[in-house]
Amino acid sequence: MAYMTTLRGFNCDDLFKFNNMRLFPYPLALQYGIPFYLQYLAHWPEYFVVAEAPGGELMGYIMGKAEGSVAREEWHGHVTALSVAPEFRRLGLAAKLMEMLEEISERKGGFFVDLFVRVSNQVAVNMYKQLGYSVYRTVIEYYSASNGEPDEDAYDMRKALSRDTEKKSIIPLPHPVRPEDIE
Amino acid sequence: MAARGHVQDPNDRRLRPIYDYLDNGNNKMAIQQAEKLLKKHRDLHCAKVLKAIGLQRTGKQDEAFTLAQEVAGLEPTDDNSLQALTILYREMHRPELVTKLYEAAVRKVPTSEEYHSHLFMAYARVGEYKKMQQAGMALYKIVPKNPYYFWSVMSLVMQAISAQDEKLSHTMFLPLAERMVEKMVKEEKIEAEAEVQLYFMILERLGKYAEALEVVRGQLGEKLTSELQSRENKCMFLYGRLEQWPECNALSRKLLLKNPDDWQFYLSYFDSLFNLIDQSWTPPEEGNHSAEGEVHCSVAQAIGFVEERLASEEVKETRPLRGPYLARLELISRLRQRGSPDEQQLGEPLELMFQYFVKFGDKPCCFTDLKVFLHLLSPDHYVQFVNRLTEAVPLGPVGEDGVALPGDTRALQRHLGAAQLSRCLGLQHALSTDGKLALIHELRAHYRHGLQFGTSCLKTELQFSDMYCLMAAHVYIDLWIETGKEHVLWQCLGLLEEGLAHSPSNAQIKLLLLLLFCRLGAFEPVVDLYSSLDAKHVQHDTIGYLLTRYAESLGQFAAASQACNFSLRFFHSNQKDTSEYIIQAYKYGAFEKIPEFIAFRNRLNNSLHFAQVRTERMLLDLYLDADISSTLEESVKNMSLCPEEDDIPWDSLRDNRDLDVFVSWNPKVQQLSKEHRQLSLEEESLWLRLRSLTLRLAGCLSGLCHSPQAPPPATPHAQRNAEKSAENGVASKPADMQPLLGQLERTLGQAAQFTDKHAHQQYPFLGPPPTRLPQALANGSCQCQLVALQLPLHVQELETSGLDQSAELQAQIANLFKSLTVQLQDMLNKCKGDLLEVTDGRCRAQPSLLENLVFFVETVCVVLWVSSHCSGTLRPLKSSLQKKKKKKKETSTVTPVVLSGFQEFTASLQTLLSQAVEQIQDQESSLTALKLEALSLEGLPQAEDERTFIKAAMDKVQSSYLRSLQEVGDLLRKRADTLKSLKI
Repeated sequence: MAYMTTLRGFNCDDLFKFNNMRLFPYPLALQYGIPFYLQYLAHWPEYFVVAEAPGGELMGYIMGKAEGSVAREEWHGHVTALSVAPEFRRLGLAAKLMEMLEEISERKGGFFVDLFVRVSNQVAVNMYKQLGYSVYRTVIEYYSASNGEPDEDAYDMRKALSRDTEKKSIIPLPHPVRPEDIE
Repeated sequence: MAARGHVQDPNDRRLRPIYDYLDNGNNKMAIQQAEKLLKKHRDLHCAKVLKAIGLQRTGKQDEAFTLAQEVAGLEPTDDNSLQALTILYREMHRPELVTKLYEAAVRKVPTSEEYHSHLFMAYARVGEYKKMQQAGMALYKIVPKNPYYFWSVMSLVMQAISAQDEKLSHTMFLPLAERMVEKMVKEEKIEAEAEVQLYFMILERLGKYAEALEVVRGQLGEKLTSELQSRENKCMFLYGRLEQWPECNALSRKLLLKNPDDWQFYLSYFDSLFNLIDQSWTPPEEGNHSAEGEVHCSVAQAIGFVEERLASEEVKETRPLRGPYLARLELISRLRQRGSPDEQQLGEPLELMFQYFVKFGDKPCCFTDLKVFLHLLSPDHYVQFVNRLTEAVPLGPVGEDGVALPGDTRALQRHLGAAQLSRCLGLQHALSTDGKLALIHELRAHYRHGLQFGTSCLKTELQFSDMYCLMAAHVYIDLWIETGKEHVLWQCLGLLEEGLAHSPSNAQIKLLLLLLFCRLGAFEPVVDLYSSLDAKHVQHDTIGYLLTRYAESLGQFAAASQACNFSLRFFHSNQKDTSEYIIQAYKYGAFEKIPEFIAFRNRLNNSLHFAQVRTERMLLDLYLDADISSTLEESVKNMSLCPEEDDIPWDSLRDNRDLDVFVSWNPKVQQLSKEHRQLSLEEESLWLRLRSLTLRLAGCLSGLCHSPQAPPPATPHAQRNAEKSAENGVASKPADMQPLLGQLERTLGQAAQFTDKHAHQQYPFLGPPPTRLPQALANGSCQCQLVALQLPLHVQELETSGLDQSAELQAQIANLFKSLTVQLQDMLNKCKGDLLEVTDGRCRAQPSLLENLVFFVETVCVVLWVSSHCSGTLRPLKSSLQKKKKKKKETSTVTPVVLSGFQEFTASLQTLLSQAVEQIQDQESSLTALKLEALSLEGLPQAEDERTFIKAAMDKVQSSYLRSLQEVGDLLRKRADTLKSLKI
């Protein structure tokens, strides 16, 4: 792993750098509206981290939250977005950011970390598998259609944290679920 | 409201259908249902408020407001009414009324935690920090929960931040906040991490770094667990502030041992090291070096440390880290800066950088990594360095076209990296014209060849070889700047069009195309390019300038309006968005985010681009409509323009433009410098000042009514106007124009000085576009508009003195009329010529003609508004003169100079405008007649597909020019039609 970077909390001024088309050739980084970012900053600032290169360029970021019921052993960390600028790919940065989110979730006493990914995004699915994630269930038509592309299913992928000693949280569900059935 | 327990309030049941109608957007039914309910239950206040919401949403704001105030006056204390009123006031953008509402509620129900907490949040929404502080304490007294106490503390911090007087912050608000926290600390009542964070924030703002360090390192610091390395990062920051270099060094060292790739700690390690060396610091003979452990205080130790890190990378089985290798170069760079010979112990930079390239050259970031260390090479080694890099790239045999190509994407990336470094060292720029052409040939070959690696790429992904296409385009641009030959530019456009066809998501290709089309004066293709960039929110602020700079100035008025609207919509939504999350930050205890959100809001509100689009949008509306589809007065009133107010925050303007948006591998001398940025901001501000003054002067002009002593207006039209301005209370006197005219004149002077002084300083091609200012000064439009806008003052004087005793003044005014005619004619002459000029097989674009034409039209608009005002004043003077004549039965006296002068003036305006319309028609027909595909142009390539892309680009330019001419022509014709009304 080689990322040579500085990890630090995201701040509002990063929104101005974020748009940087030189680093993010297509506006991946700005897929959400400003209220969405502010909501995460107000609620889970520790889960919103950017990687900064020595020259001050944003290399990538991760955004997540903690949610779920502790009593039902569903308290967990969730990865909302993860993005690495093409220029800084193939350095293991995504893995580093994921590791960090897992560590924060460990400290919060989460049972697992989960994320959603398009079933067609083989590159991402494989990367998450390498990082220890497995498909817990398929969510039918989780991604709604856009730009002429049809609706698409998502994998809900999970990795158990140390609190889930028996790894109960990642036993795959036998059947796919609908988006309205997930928490 | 849902969680109110099992016993349902019957009122909830009654109100439910109204809520449902409102939720579904069926406002009419909601109103009806509310009215029905109110007939039965007269006292169900909430129904009234819900009705008001329905009214508000159907555009009946006044009715809604009256109804709301009726209920608010009763000082309701039921949840339903309070919440409904809160929603309503928010939709009315009157958040301050919510505070009144809950102030009354807590007065009536003083023990309600809920209402007190609503009151606190209502204050937070409007930023009433002092009242928040009190509300927080009041809450804490009712329910002693920690968060309420700390809300109050945070409100003190906000008072400190927002106080104009910094002394007050440091002597009153912050110390008070500190004492409040200390009290809790002493009583051992600190519970949450957020509370420690807030304590830290207060101490930091007070500059009490030693105390802050004690907190972080002490028991309270143990609560700082959410963020990773939160304590370490805070300590590092504080060591730096306190200049505790031994601790700073030891901690950096410790953290680097844990993670030898964290760049920030190399920097603090080196910073502290050299500070210690400069202080001749030596470790104590006994005991710990520092509170953080072992300290390095000599160059030898630092070299040893870096080499140990490197050695452990070398023996690792996994991929090596880049950090230690770059740390070595950083240390060399710092030693060289200090003139220390020790750098030689670390090795020869050229060799080390070459080795770095060998190790990491297949990573896209290799160029960015090495770029900052290129200064370590001496210029006479540049060629040698690049040759060594190139030799290290595995390429296949030289092909038919004389180019050796890579066999996979890793080799491609290496080759590209070497080319990028070569460009950055200025080696591409040093090539002769033929050398550059050969380079382009090579880059194009690599580009096309590389496409084979990306055949399975998704549409949203980039092609591996896209950067070659961009680099070739950059070399074309070098050539164009160097030789001025148009065909180079056409080829560049053709190549980029080709690149975009292969890689439809590549924003860099789109941006460069966009820039080139704009520079060529062709805005039409830019609209689609920009919209395909799919710019989102903040991007409207950061890159919106690319669009708004050119749309109007190139005569594409419809697109210009649209471009301004995109940006304005974003800026207007910002205010609402942020206050919601400030409140959430209080709820979740994210205190450090609160000033940040407020600063974010201010940064957008003070945006240069925001001020520009606001101003330009209004000017554009006036140019297009005022005195055409509605009078100038009506137009100004509709946009609620307030000429006496300057709404631009000049002193706090923020330049949020992203001027680094274009990828570039140019050598340092050709990169955008700080001075360029400063200059560009200065230029933009000057131009904005001129535009804003023009707008405000037009606003003043619209409010001018003829003085009350003057005889009643002669025409019904003028009378209507006079009444209107009186009833709207917007009537202004010519005297109001005086200070603005003075400002305009001064700003013009400054602008002229600025352009003279910086005439030879051009921004880099990929840097900020120059403003319209230099051209506006050169073609005389500014001067002409100033003269025109001064006329109302003289005419006013004439109105007071009458026609009899004012020969000198009349002559003066008549001269101004003449001068305006001459100036306009002069401007029109500068628009003559073909926009696309084909001579001797060269096709030359002349965008400056188009820009001059737009300046001409804008100036015509201003002159006609002023003329319309003049005619309004002169007409009654003339008719009273005729009455007098009739009485005295005089038959043939000379017409007063001012009247004949004005008649001559309008007649020449008529001629001028017809001439302009004709000129445009000629330009249109010559453009239409131009059959580009039939031309055999010099320097165009043989290959059919290349030619196709070039012709496509030329067609776009041609079509765009035609559209601009049509829009400008249409506006001129409409303006010409208004000349009739100037008859006196």
